[in-house]
Amino acid sequence: MTASGPTDLQQGDAPALRPTTLRRRARAAIARSAAADRSLAVLVGLLLLVAGTLVALLSYGVFGAGRASRPLLDPMIVDLLRAQPLAARVIAVVAGLLLVVCGLAWAARSLRPERRPDLVLDGGQDTAIVVNATAAAEAVAAQAAALPGVGRARARLVGTEAAPALRVTLWLTDDADTREVLARLDDEVLATARSSLGLTALPAAVRLELDSAPAAPRVA
Amino acid sequence: MRVLLRVLAPLLGFAVAVVGVLVVLEVVAAWVRPRAATGLVVPWPDWYVTLGRIAWTDAPVAGVAIGVAVVGLLLVLVGVLARRTDIAVDGPAPEITVTTSPRVLARLVGRRVRSADGVASASVTASRRAVSVAAQAWNDTGSELRDTVRAEVDELLDELPLHRRPRVSVRVQDREGPR
Repeated sequence: MTASGPTDLQQGDAPALRPTTLRRRARAAIARSAAADRSLAVLVGLLLLVAGTLVALLSYGVFGAGRASRPLLDPMIVDLLRAQPLAARVIAVVAGLLLVVCGLAWAARSLRPERRPDLVLDGGQDTAIVVNATAAAEAVAAQAAALPGVGRARARLVGTEAAPALRVTLWLTDDADTREVLARLDDEVLATARSSLGLTALPAAVRLELDSAPAAPRVA
Repeated sequence: MRVLLRVLAPLLGFAVAVVGVLVVLEVVAAWVRPRAATGLVVPWPDWYVTLGRIAWTDAPVAGVAIGVAVVGLLLVLVGVLARRTDIAVDGPAPEITVTTSPRVLARLVGRRVRSADGVASASVTASRRAVSVAAQAWNDTGSELRDTVRAEVDELLDELPLHRRPRVSVRVQDREGPR
């Protein structure tokens, strides 16, 4: 594969990726998504909030004094369950199993470490070259750290083997020109990474931080 | 909030799973040995008697319900507030997303403002939408200093390729005393 550049997106032998797809992949690489955890927390919270509020209202007699004075475990409901013992048991067991599966899936999902996809290069007919994710990311980080205006740099590969993306954190020095640093990162570091890894496109999410400068004297 | 959510999410998941395990265990146990007087793990026959005796109007019910509602509200707040506060920066190409944190922007602005002549001290808060600067001026420079500080901040924002230019508000207080 020849050297890559933005034009390769259209000219490469792989099917060209649309800019919107690349932008979406780059945006997904910014940070690990917490969307699932957030929506589940909101959902469970809303359920508790609504249930608690309704029970409190019922207890204060908003839905009628007669209903409020009945016991929590209403004999009416107990009789209903006793009339259909098999259905009640099956429903309870299925609901319990559902809770187990959903709860474990949720916990496993939020505990699972983020993927670091290794890159598979096309090395010819019977050869596949695998570039370790950490090695590739370290190479990018070392190159980025050498750019003028960058104090430190860290990089890691995220996404999947089929659609890898790069997450780069740059600690800028005091005299850094942000525009120039970003342009050189694209032209020099990312272009080199794309061409040496044989990728037509490598979306990247760049995080800018400030390098901690030595503390200024408090008394001038 | 994102850290709290990262800790809470697996705990909630495990709690839900444990409830499910207990339900399945007790229902199957009660099904298999219908004569047993106690539960396998949970003393549910005692709960059964207690729940049959307490009415909705009794004292603990409303309190517990309000407690549950408050916990629910806190969970909703954690979920809603755990959003990203990143500030978008324009990247050199569409496949490069650049972000920074409000802290970084505030530090940049603060450094620039403090370097201005006549500023004794400054505190800056920044977000995606707004930057607000509270500066303290040496004795008599207060009136012009406001414009100077604003010009400095505007110049800095021109240099940074921020995707959306934040609103700038500057407040200057006079500081009495010797320089």
